[in-house]
Amino acid sequence: MTGAFVRACALASALGPDLEAAVERLAGTPDTKIGGPWPYFAIPISGKDWRKRAEAIARSVAGDLRREGALAPGEWAALPCIVGSSSFCVGAWDDGGWQALEPSFEFSSSLAKAFGARGPVTAVSTTCTSGFSALDIALGLIAEGEFRDVLVLGVEFCNRLTVAGFAGLQLLSATAARPCDRERDGLVLGEALAAVLVSAAPAPWRIAALATGMDAASVTGPAPDGTATAKTMRAALARAQWETSRVDLIKLQSGGGPLADLAEGRAVRELFATVPGSVSLKGALGHTLGASGPAELALLLASLSRGRVPATWGFAKPDEELGLAPSGGDGKGVRRVLFNLSGFGGSVMSLALEKAA
Amino acid sequence: MNVYLLAPTVLRVAPEDLPARVRARFAAELRRAGGFAQLCLLGAQACLDAAGGDGPLGVLWASEFGAVHATRAALDEDLKRGEPAMPFTFIAMQPHLAGALLAQRSHPVTRTACLYLPPDAWSRLPRLALGWLADCEQVLVGWVEESGSGGAAHRSDWCLFQEKPVAGAVRCERALEAENAAAAAGEDWIARIAAWSGPAPLLLRGGEDAWRFTRHG
Repeated sequence: MTGAFVRACALASALGPDLEAAVERLAGTPDTKIGGPWPYFAIPISGKDWRKRAEAIARSVAGDLRREGALAPGEWAALPCIVGSSSFCVGAWDDGGWQALEPSFEFSSSLAKAFGARGPVTAVSTTCTSGFSALDIALGLIAEGEFRDVLVLGVEFCNRLTVAGFAGLQLLSATAARPCDRERDGLVLGEALAAVLVSAAPAPWRIAALATGMDAASVTGPAPDGTATAKTMRAALARAQWETSRVDLIKLQSGGGPLADLAEGRAVRELFATVPGSVSLKGALGHTLGASGPAELALLLASLSRGRVPATWGFAKPDEELGLAPSGGDGKGVRRVLFNLSGFGGSVMSLALEKAA
Repeated sequence: MNVYLLAPTVLRVAPEDLPARVRARFAAELRRAGGFAQLCLLGAQACLDAAGGDGPLGVLWASEFGAVHATRAALDEDLKRGEPAMPFTFIAMQPHLAGALLAQRSHPVTRTACLYLPPDAWSRLPRLALGWLADCEQVLVGWVEESGSGGAAHRSDWCLFQEKPVAGAVRCERALEAENAAAAAGEDWIARIAAWSGPAPLLLRGGEDAWRFTRHG
């Protein structure tokens, strides 16, 4: 059991430039069409070039977080910042070539500065779990007792290299992400900048546990039987000291990949005699890769705070073999959430979240 | 908590020799892993070969610049010409592959992370490793840099942290007397531990932290 809480969140994503807009949009009519010049769910904030746009997005999210986080100016300045991403600023090359690229640490430092965080900066990359690896480091800093509050950023901005890489692996859908759906045929990529302020000070949601695992079956996908995912979920439950029957909601990794979704379905069904409610957010956000942990955490908690489990956009026809039917609805009774994340390179993470009050 | 460091391993490889060195150690080309992941794996495996043991591992490594060569190849050679990026040299995967490759080849791996840090922030690695030892029997810690221009060698330096004291291990603790410690950098802190001799403790500083290393037994 950790002693850390989620103090505040902010998010810019394809659903909107801020968290409020995203929650409103998610409560509306699903729209899973892929737009823009690339097959990407893009943040609706424009900028002159990649760099200027990234700065504009960072300023916008930072302003939202500062209002929500309500720290004193000196506390903001002392914040350590942990940045998780799979691509950092590689998109700057699209506009400016090699001259526009900077080391990932430098880019992360400039993001931290936009948030007013002048404490130590750490940049971490574990592909799609990067944001939660950042959270894991933050939890360690809080457990050490050196910091009360830590800023976690998950960032993924559009870039041709990521699109080319996923296209090369033939993992993208040409139409829409359909998590858990019988007709799912691949992922849709998405942009996000998500900020989570983690704190030792009590707040409505406590991070009960964060478990990590490794699925080395393949570097680009899970073992088909879902064993590593099941093991990691089990570890999170054990650390949180929860029985499976106490879980109210599972936030699925599921992004619409035919085999990856199936493996997660098997893991969930292995662990839960009666599968609780579940939700996937990638049909609406896209797969925001290294930002997906903080982005989906921010969106889910914001929805739950408004009493709603969001709908799983793109899910319509259940797949019997997969055996999961994510659906939205009333979220007022949701007190415990198990939150799955996995990525290339075999990284698997499971977060146990508990309503503290 | 007492923590011990084993098998500080310093690996320097000329870029043109990397494929042959990988082939010699793993009896395979590992082309799909990409150069940076191969460099991480080669150094990590050399450290494990020296340390022995087969318990569950955490694998934690840092770099200032990361997979520079793979990035350059993907951007200049592939995207600029309009050709598709090769999936397995795809930059987003590159830094993080070494843990999975190690798990496939030799050791059970329970967690991995690749950090990007400035050179003087190496001292965060032992701190993180200490936290990871709650989950892992041993934590493999490395600093990896591909060669820049001018024909320098690739660097892949690694050591192993564990709670169990063994003969030849080095005891590690955070030092309060940081002002007396010698400044070290990401690229040389493991090399300095490997080269250290004599009975006097070794005090190394990185950024805000200093570490004291003393011989055990």
